[in-house]
Amino acid sequence: MDFEVLNFIPDNFINPQKRIFLGYLLSGFLIAFLWLYCFRKYTLINSLKLIFDKKVYFSKSSFVDYSLYVFNSLIMIIFSPILLSQIVIATFIFEFMYAQNIIEPISINYLSIFLPIIFTICFFIVDDFSKFLVHMLMHKIKFFWCFHKIHHSAEVLTPMTVFRTHPIEGVIFVLRNAISQGAVIGIFYFISSGELSLVTVLGANLFSFIFHLLGSNLRHSHISISYGKIVEKFLISPAQHQIHHSVEKKHHDKNFGVTFAIWDYFFNTLVYSQSNQKIKYGLSDKENFSRNNIFKIYLFPIIECCTLIFNSIFKSFKIIYTYSLNLKPHKLNKNNKVIQNENS
Amino acid sequence: MLKINKYSFIKNAAVLSLASLSLSLLSTSSSFSDGHIYGENNPVTVKGYKGSKTDSTAYTGQIARQLQHNSLKKIVSNGNPNDPSSNTLNKMMNYFENKDKTKTMAILDPKSSSKFPVKQKIVGEISTGSNLAGKADKRPQLSWPNNMSGSDVIRFMIKKASKISGGVDTRNGMNYPQLISKYTMGAVLYHQACDNYLDEKMTASNKPNNKPYKKGAAYTGKEHSWDEAFGYWGAAAHTMTLSAKQSYDVAKKKDLKAADFNKDGVVDLYKEMTYGHAYYASAFDKGGKTNYLKTVTKAFIDGRKIITAADGNKLSSSDLTKVQDLAQEICSNWAQVISEAVHKYAGSVYKDLIAVEKALSSGSGMEKAMSKYLKHWGELKGFAMALQSGVENKSDTFNRLNRMMGFGPLMPNLSQVVGIDSSGNYLKDQGSSIGYYKLHMIKIQKLMAKEYALKSRSNDVTGGMASLIETLGTKKSAEND
Repeated sequence: MDFEVLNFIPDNFINPQKRIFLGYLLSGFLIAFLWLYCFRKYTLINSLKLIFDKKVYFSKSSFVDYSLYVFNSLIMIIFSPILLSQIVIATFIFEFMYAQNIIEPISINYLSIFLPIIFTICFFIVDDFSKFLVHMLMHKIKFFWCFHKIHHSAEVLTPMTVFRTHPIEGVIFVLRNAISQGAVIGIFYFISSGELSLVTVLGANLFSFIFHLLGSNLRHSHISISYGKIVEKFLISPAQHQIHHSVEKKHHDKNFGVTFAIWDYFFNTLVYSQSNQKIKYGLSDKENFSRNNIFKIYLFPIIECCTLIFNSIFKSFKIIYTYSLNLKPHKLNKNNKVIQNENS
Repeated sequence: MLKINKYSFIKNAAVLSLASLSLSLLSTSSSFSDGHIYGENNPVTVKGYKGSKTDSTAYTGQIARQLQHNSLKKIVSNGNPNDPSSNTLNKMMNYFENKDKTKTMAILDPKSSSKFPVKQKIVGEISTGSNLAGKADKRPQLSWPNNMSGSDVIRFMIKKASKISGGVDTRNGMNYPQLISKYTMGAVLYHQACDNYLDEKMTASNKPNNKPYKKGAAYTGKEHSWDEAFGYWGAAAHTMTLSAKQSYDVAKKKDLKAADFNKDGVVDLYKEMTYGHAYYASAFDKGGKTNYLKTVTKAFIDGRKIITAADGNKLSSSDLTKVQDLAQEICSNWAQVISEAVHKYAGSVYKDLIAVEKALSSGSGMEKAMSKYLKHWGELKGFAMALQSGVENKSDTFNRLNRMMGFGPLMPNLSQVVGIDSSGNYLKDQGSSIGYYKLHMIKIQKLMAKEYALKSRSNDVTGGMASLIETLGTKKSAEND
């Protein structure tokens, strides 16, 4: 049997382009430790006990995350070749840019020196905004929420909770990446006439590297790190994202951002974290949903979504039918004009 | 006693190991040559042959044409506007069309040197009576103005080149050494092989195997047709024993050891040299993504084996089908080699246009940028024209190809050759923008990659985007944020 297909399991931990790269996990634990030990004045032992709380990592919810990580990755290996990729969009945009005559490629040498850094910044900003936007839509549109609620069904948060995702949602994210990243690459590739590079550290985008090194993995954790109100207007803190996962109604549909909080600020969905906030994670009780059964996790959203679609179609037909009952057939005169009913 | 026994045991073991080593070396060297050398073990099979020859392999005329092409390319750059006696023109024409001068026609490339000594100095030492003009594609060439035939196109280019210093017309953007060379390779070599010898002459009735190719010949119709196509391919007979890099270096006259298969200290230009499209195949193959050189050469060897095995009898229908399949394999790979070259030079032209744009905006470096641009455009156009000289009727692809690159390169003042008047002067008109022309180069690459399923794809303009996306590491995974 060929086990090469399972290489992604260790690969994700040793590749700095990946969020669960061991270096990022270690930096996350270190930041959590410093936060608890220095700011929250926990003892050394209590800090470590809290960070490595076995109730969290060995909970049923966490095991679902681990299982979904493996199964989803295998599913995506099968389906990824047929999904839209960045290169398709980038090539399309690149060719489109040539077909227009408004923007021209940069041919001034001194400006092109700064192009990699401008490209890296733009890429990161556009990518972050696209993540915010799609995330918001996942909450606001019922059909999408059927799938996204899998992620919100986690009752404890660990760095592996990012993989608690329905494959259909994974497909939506692939399309999001293809469009947003492909568009930026296509435009910049045109502007630079193909002489383009990304500023990287250990092969990862500079800003992604910084974002991950500064504890992006703590967003999905039980360590509630707050940045303070001023910084939280600009950057989403781990505590703010934990609010996003809260069961409480007042926290629903808040803090959609990933890195930047400004998107939430503009869309009026920003909530600041509180010191010593105690948050219960998961879905509200009205969401009739089996949280810890993999089979149901895969199947239930599809059934729910199909039911929604069927209900919508049924409602539409009902409206049309009701409307048509109220209409009476018209009679036409010689000139093809409607003869008005004398009684009306 | 014990000591003596021990020593004798060691001695015997050493002798045995040496013997087995030499045996294995012998078997290796014989397996290298056995069936891997084109033209090896091809006895005369013609029934009733009365001559003295014992080998039926013959492609001397084709190698002579390879050398005429190589030599012609060398002198195209000798064009001189102040040459009333038309010396350069006459020289070029001799290599192109004069059959009678082959006995004294010097081989200009490859010339013998201490690092790469060659056996023959005169074309006639290999074959007499051959020329390029008589074998050029006779169909109207839609890739060049005025529907000229292949030989007329080359003749027209030669005349133009002879009157221009260095053979490069900087006003109209024509680099004749490149245009003539690349197009001749297609219009003569590729055309003859794939649209004649491996096409019409591989049918049952044409040049049958139970008759000599011509009266008194030592080879049958099919044997010689196959050999001639091999000669046009341009691979050394021992290509299967070489790596792509070695074959490439042989063409570049850099690897005498690899070229000199019979170890006589000189390179036999008939059997031991790499020419024409075989050279381009090795250039792409050494990148490691393709295997055109050996695929085509092996198909030639396999095909010849089938024909030889028929022993001078008519090919059975199954053998004929096998030979036709191999011919198709050869020609489709050959077309891929040429289209890989079109792809490569479209990428070069794209990069050159960026340099031209930079020179335009900075006001310096234009001469250097234009020189590279016109050279690469000449190669692009030459290969694109060559591609259309085969048997394939891809009229839609060819029309798009011709439309996108035009009859001449887009010049920095945005003018472009659109035709030729009755006096043979170029007609020019306003072309598209440089941006549009660059887009055309990308589209040419995409067209070639799609139509010919290219793998090497050198100088891929949009390939840079794919590598950039690789560095992003955003693989398709189901991950929330």
